Amino acid sequence: MIETLNIQAQSSFGLSGYWTPLQQSSTLLNSFEANPGNFSSLKDWGLSFSYGGEFSGTPTSSLYLISLDKQIGSHFISLRYTPGYQKEFIFNNGESIVLHDSSTQSLSSQFTYKELFGLGYSYKFSEKLSAGFSLRYFKQEFDQQSVLPVFSDTVYLNQVNKINNINFWRGDLGINYSPSKYFSLSFATINLLNVNESVADSTLAPYEIKKDKGVSFGLSIAPSESYDLNLIYETTNALQTGINSYFNLFGNKIGFGVSVFHDKFQSPFFAGIVPAISFNTNKFSFSLSGIKYFSNRNIPHTFSEFTNDGLNNIINNRYSFDKAVLTVTFALNTIPEKEVEFLDVDMIRDIYPTMSDNYLNRPFADAKIVNLTDKTISVKPSSKIEGINEDRIISPVVTIGPKDTADVPFYTIIPQSYDKKKTGISFVDFFVTANNDNPDDQTQKPILINGINAWDGKVINLRYFIKRNYEFSMDYSKKILSNYKSELDTMSYSLSIFYKAKIIFNNCVRELVYSSNPTAAQNYVQFPNETLNLKGGNCDDLSVLYSSLLESVGIQTALVDYKPQNGIGHVSVLVNTQLSPDQARLITDNDSKYFIRKNESGVDEVWIPVETTSLTNFDKAWELGAEKFNQDALTNLGLAKGSVEIVDIY
Amino acid sequence: MKKILILVLFLAAGILSAQQFKVEKAAGNVKAQIGGSEKWTAIKTGDVLAANSIVLTGEKSSLVLGGNGTKLSLKESSALPLPYLKKMSVDDLILALAMQDMINSPRKKEEANSKNTAVYGAEINGVKIPFVPSSNFGVQRLNGAVQLAEIGFKESAIVDAKETFRKYPGTKSIASFRIYFANLLADLNLNEDAYNEFKQISSLKLDSRQKQEVTSKLDSLSKKLMK
Repeated sequence: MIETLNIQAQSSFGLSGYWTPLQQSSTLLNSFEANPGNFSSLKDWGLSFSYGGEFSGTPTSSLYLISLDKQIGSHFISLRYTPGYQKEFIFNNGESIVLHDSSTQSLSSQFTYKELFGLGYSYKFSEKLSAGFSLRYFKQEFDQQSVLPVFSDTVYLNQVNKINNINFWRGDLGINYSPSKYFSLSFATINLLNVNESVADSTLAPYEIKKDKGVSFGLSIAPSESYDLNLIYETTNALQTGINSYFNLFGNKIGFGVSVFHDKFQSPFFAGIVPAISFNTNKFSFSLSGIKYFSNRNIPHTFSEFTNDGLNNIINNRYSFDKAVLTVTFALNTIPEKEVEFLDVDMIRDIYPTMSDNYLNRPFADAKIVNLTDKTISVKPSSKIEGINEDRIISPVVTIGPKDTADVPFYTIIPQSYDKKKTGISFVDFFVTANNDNPDDQTQKPILINGINAWDGKVINLRYFIKRNYEFSMDYSKKILSNYKSELDTMSYSLSIFYKAKIIFNNCVRELVYSSNPTAAQNYVQFPNETLNLKGGNCDDLSVLYSSLLESVGIQTALVDYKPQNGIGHVSVLVNTQLSPDQARLITDNDSKYFIRKNESGVDEVWIPVETTSLTNFDKAWELGAEKFNQDALTNLGLAKGSVEIVDIY
Repeated sequence: MKKILILVLFLAAGILSAQQFKVEKAAGNVKAQIGGSEKWTAIKTGDVLAANSIVLTGEKSSLVLGGNGTKLSLKESSALPLPYLKKMSVDDLILALAMQDMINSPRKKEEANSKNTAVYGAEINGVKIPFVPSSNFGVQRLNGAVQLAEIGFKESAIVDAKETFRKYPGTKSIASFRIYFANLLADLNLNEDAYNEFKQISSLKLDSRQKQEVTSKLDSLSKKLMK
């Protein structure tokens, strides 16, 4: 007979050691004791086995636990079978019977407590917050021997076993909140819900597992990535505190942990210590843990103690012996591990379809992407703009260090065939891929796609309007020049460029008038064919037209960007005559009408400014262009001060 | 040696618009090109010229021009774009030089075997003031630029000369003009520009006196730049 019984166990005590949720390892799996909220960092399937031994007078071993876990999206489910979670008490109930051979037989009782299986569920609201519950099924069997008198010819006593089963469900809720990788909080109920399967025999009440209600608060702090400190406090006057240390070995994680626990019904104040070691890879983990009680466990206890204090925990009570437990967990990941993810995407620029090349050299979006792994990886960003791209456009690969965050630019390709004139909102799907075949992460952002006539107001980007419809410009210019074939053929080659520029101007401006854009929109530019069809345009349109007509027949041009003064800017054209400075007198007696620029080979060439809004004739347009250029660009030092800029088309 | 007489008077403001110059005296063959016009128009005393004009004096001709607070006496065989007839600050000069470099950086290879040109001129305080009687418009512009400097518009004269050297490449080989304007840069403490200019001049065909002067200037400027 067990003489002394007085036990009050700690609710959050587990067999696999005390590990923090901060490290995201799989050692927390199925630890409904320390993790009622069922928090898990598992990605897909998990399978665990715990096997251990208890060092009582005669060492015994058993399979403590088998569990199966599954993550489905934000949902996580655990099932566990716990054949080793049991405690059996056999004691003499103080009565004995005298047998017919005068020997005596003591009557005993056997109380068996088992936790058979459990079910856990949690939902991940975000990477920082999850909440869930656990349901555990307990079986209690009270087998009491007694004698019953049997009356017949003689009276004799019959030994009978009275068996009572009082099984029940226990349910608890828990919340885990990890605002950063260095800090985590948890909150859980203790014995929130207890439902008996049947009406209990009130005489057995003192021997049932106690169900005192309470709550537990958990706190984990990681001052660095190499160690963390943990504490769980239970309002039922118990606590557990520990420290864990980690280091990486060939990309795998090795952890050492030790915790002590306090239980008001066990002595000394810290009743025992739980050392543990774990080895974690992406595919599996081992943990070897032990429980060493500080008090002598081989002392007698009275039945009245048991009657008075009862039993609060099956695996950790004052009758428990030291243990060693090996837990093996397999992470059966059929879902590719996410190695990188988006933190944010910043849309830098709207889409101006005509300025297509611009998006090959300059990103339209910048994303912050984090490397979730412990190794340096190459990240392949890609994007697809709805309505523009048929396939994903891959941007340059970026290398990101372990756990590091990088700014990743996204470029795109606008097909030349895009011809929508209407502006509208569309969406961009951004993808980021590391080593997997499929993207590790994706996100979507809205984007403004302008019509093809839209212009961002930067004169340098008018070049795209000049180059588009190039075939039209070439045909148009060649058609004009063909009418002057005889004159051009008899002319010296050095002068032919100047005269071609003059002929094209005089022939294309004949029917044009200066006008603001039909749409009245400031940043709307007509293509050359549109300006000719509409018979006019503003300075942007006319400069685009003239430059396009010249460039299409090999005459080099540049735009002069007179930056807005009082809100009004202006654009005109510079033409490279390819004449040398000494040949300038062949086209003018006025040396203020040209200026000298070096070409790529370092040879000086004569350039002339042409005011394209002067729609009278070339000579007048040249004269006006030169006057404005001399005044604004040279005399007023506009080129030096930045108020005037020369923008080469190529 | 022929003395150059430059008379500068600062007149009371208000006689003429800031955008116009009045021909106070025109003697001989004096012409002007207005704005972007291709024509040279003969001018006479009393004419009013727009600020975007270029004036040109022929052989044995002269011009006295007033306006914009300035009076300029331009001697024979000289040309001057009137936009340069203005006072520039050294800061503006630096900007203008940078701008010209931006449009058209100096040639990497200079012509080393160009012909020397006969030069006349006065020597004032040991400084030779070049003057080349020529029908070459580039040379005439340099003559005008020198006179512009002599009346105190050194900064404008430098910009005018730089432009002329580019538009009329043959004038770059006239060492006397190059030395004169390089000295102006040094006078304005634009030592790096002056040093680079003298460095280029040293590769031209120079007489012994010019060689001595260029060598001396390079030495003194390099010492200044080393400080």
